[in-house]
Amino acid sequence: MEFEALAARGLDTATMRGAHYADIRCEVARSERIEVRNGVVATLADGTSTGFGVRALVDGAWGFAGSADVSDAGVDAAAARAVAIARASAAIARRRIGTPPAQAYVDVFVTPMLRDPADVPLGQRVALLLDAERLLHSAPEIAVGRAWLDLWRADKYFYSTAGSRIAQQIRQTGSGIEAMAIGNDDVQIRTYPGDVGLYQSGGWEIVEAAKLLEDAPRIAHEAAALLRAPQCPIGTFDVILGGSQMSLQIHESCGHPAELDRVMGWEANFSGTSFLEIDQLGKLKYGSDHITIVVDNALEHGMATCGYDDEGTQSVTSDIVRDGVLAGYEMSNDTAATIGRQSNACVRADGWESVPMIRMCNLNLLPGSVPFEHLFDDVKDGVYMESNRSWSIDDRRLNFQFGCEMGWEIKNGKRGRLLKNPTYAGMTPQFWNACDAVADARSWFAWGTPNCGKGEPMQTGRTTQAAAPARFRNVSVGVGYGA
Amino acid sequence: MPSAGDGAAGREKLAAYVLSLSTADQTEVLVSASDRALTRFTHEMSNQNVAASDAGVSVRAILGGRTGVAQTNRLDEPSLRDVVERAVAMARLAPDDPLVPVLPPGAPAQTPAGAYDPATAQADADVRARMCDAIFREAENAGYWSAGFAATSSAGLTVANTSGALASFDGTDAGVNVKMNAADSTGYGESYSATLRAIDPGAAGRTAVEKARTSAAPLAVDPGAWTVILDPPAFGELFVYLADHFSAQSFDEGSSFCSGGLDRSYFSENVTVRDDYAHPLAPGMPFDYEGQPTQRLALVENGVVRTVVTDGYYAKKLDRPNTGHALPAPNAYGPQPRSLVVDGGDKSVHQLISETKRGLLITRFWYIRTVDRKRAIVTGMTRDGTFLIEDGRIARGVRNMRFNDSIVDLLGRCEFSREQARTGGYHYSLVAPSAKITGFNFTSTTEF
Repeated sequence: MEFEALAARGLDTATMRGAHYADIRCEVARSERIEVRNGVVATLADGTSTGFGVRALVDGAWGFAGSADVSDAGVDAAAARAVAIARASAAIARRRIGTPPAQAYVDVFVTPMLRDPADVPLGQRVALLLDAERLLHSAPEIAVGRAWLDLWRADKYFYSTAGSRIAQQIRQTGSGIEAMAIGNDDVQIRTYPGDVGLYQSGGWEIVEAAKLLEDAPRIAHEAAALLRAPQCPIGTFDVILGGSQMSLQIHESCGHPAELDRVMGWEANFSGTSFLEIDQLGKLKYGSDHITIVVDNALEHGMATCGYDDEGTQSVTSDIVRDGVLAGYEMSNDTAATIGRQSNACVRADGWESVPMIRMCNLNLLPGSVPFEHLFDDVKDGVYMESNRSWSIDDRRLNFQFGCEMGWEIKNGKRGRLLKNPTYAGMTPQFWNACDAVADARSWFAWGTPNCGKGEPMQTGRTTQAAAPARFRNVSVGVGYGA
Repeated sequence: MPSAGDGAAGREKLAAYVLSLSTADQTEVLVSASDRALTRFTHEMSNQNVAASDAGVSVRAILGGRTGVAQTNRLDEPSLRDVVERAVAMARLAPDDPLVPVLPPGAPAQTPAGAYDPATAQADADVRARMCDAIFREAENAGYWSAGFAATSSAGLTVANTSGALASFDGTDAGVNVKMNAADSTGYGESYSATLRAIDPGAAGRTAVEKARTSAAPLAVDPGAWTVILDPPAFGELFVYLADHFSAQSFDEGSSFCSGGLDRSYFSENVTVRDDYAHPLAPGMPFDYEGQPTQRLALVENGVVRTVVTDGYYAKKLDRPNTGHALPAPNAYGPQPRSLVVDGGDKSVHQLISETKRGLLITRFWYIRTVDRKRAIVTGMTRDGTFLIEDGRIARGVRNMRFNDSIVDLLGRCEFSREQARTGGYHYSLVAPSAKITGFNFTSTTEF
């Protein structure tokens, strides 16, 4: 669809109505979801959504209006509504905000892709999931098998009164399987890959990389084995977390508290605030020296990989934690200006109808130097945990409790018997300071999260936390099952 | 071309037109239209002031036992033809499922009074700004800063199918949500209604101010087993994690706490739970997304689980009545209760507190997550106003704590206030009383 004329009209209308700055983001989104559940195709759906969102800055206050009406009258009405909303904001504001992008760009970005999923016949896509789900029933204890596929295409066109004209074709793909075993008055679940499936930017090659058929029987037997496994013990143990669980740990205890809008109280009523206060920048020993966490929105296969964010800021790489010390935040233009920095392009909207806001993007823990298998070497009494199943953290991102689908006892450097219901808990900075080893690049992987909630109205973000397994000393284990 | 923006009549014409395009054995069409606006604020300014309007068509095509669904929000004739063709094409490729039901023929369903309010539908950004300003003034008078939102919305849905069902619903919604932030404490207030005039933003602001003021200089208390009194937002946040257990899908698959059987006592006799779209605090849609009239159900009577909710698929699979609780097709969640109501008890909230020798009053929870599905064990944190009760009086604020407990077990040792409130905002709708629960298991504290 051609949006040049619509965008020009929208920006003209906003300007004539009094906007000092305006931008318009037009989007055609296409999504396909297939889900097989116990041999039945429970979902076979193909959706398209087309529309645009206008952002207008008036007297130091923003207004946003989205509309699916792409007619001339529709864009006039939405642009006028955005300005009226901005004026209403300005009328009650005790403070002024509003920092337009520092630079304008004319550019195109296309997600690298080896094979367009559209080139794979729909029947083949369905058959893959039916076969994978069928293999989950190779263990008789499996009461529910699931296999799913998500294909997302978003063609986005950003225009601003500062002169930006940016076209982006974003392609994201995900698939996974899940086996629910029921028996012994218990329910145990195994999910693969990771805890949500494998979600990355790219095409059909992401589905092939998931190897659903190859791993389905193993996942089924693991779920069944958990029904018979002993309960994870309660106490203080050394803990090794697998890669996908490390991704969740980064997401919840670094990614969210490092969002600068949250630090400034902009999420206070819903997602909460943050313990990473601005006066701690450059000082707070967030973690041990092994911990360096960076924003990298050019990461290969990152879910948030793109050329420009939804404010029109070019993607960059920046530090959040460097050698254990708090070094930066995920920022927008408005929030970066308040601390004298430039935006690091961490602004996203989850569709044309949503206002752009700070989102966790690709936020990666850099790999260490220890081969994964050697993480176990000097653990006398510990637990190795993989694949998240429960996650909870307080509204300043300090007190957390996470649970995994499965764990293994570690005795004298060796991985031992399977344990069910492993959980661990702690306080964020103490926990990260207890990390004494991160595995090397051979086990470092871009784990995508397709369902990150934030904002009101709540938006669903797609993010990646690339990570390798890591080791933590003296961790509280087994919480939640002791009462 | 009919328009989805012309109210129920326009949506019904559009649905009929789309049905006429389909060659499938059975076809279902959902036509939706919405206009939603929300003014979010922090530090006495708006940081997200947004509005969006949309309309869409979803087509479910069924060929024998094969089903495909396609959706679009482009409503021109080529796009409508395309969405029907895509749904049929997907159905051709789907495997046969013998349990795919005959689409229900529908029946008259009465929209409850108060579900739609024209003034709410027409509220503009200036109206929402005045609501926010009333909260700002409460914050400024107290010397605090506030964060929250004022929201208004209208939405309409029409369901039509080739079995003859034709059902339309238009509803409105409004709400405010405010967190007051003091030096070392916070407080929370909320108000939700289908009707804007029922919302008092200043009152929500004053509630939040009072909570923040009373919880200043919070004391760290030891975790362990406590008697708690949960305000409706806290109880609602907890109880909603049990909602899926009342789905016929969870019941059938064995993952629900009540999969062992219905007509058994699982909770205290104080617990009666309904699914009631006509409750005056939360009037909602009287039919489901298949056009089937929704039954007003007693899910739990005096602690005994009586039934689970069904849709066309699970009614056929389990040979149970279709209770009219289908979600939009396609979905993998099965039927779900949409309008949960927990009945109140005989005592006032004040009486529940005054009868408590030592306990905690909890305003709100945060980040509740399931730890153990079958036993309905969940964990979560308190937030925005947690108070120590001593000798029947609110003594002071305490630091926030983490809990781990089974919702099923907790409902075995609870009693409720007679006052009820709607909670959940736009995330979910639940009418809940305050709940007094003994032996609530806290496992750790946090630093604030």
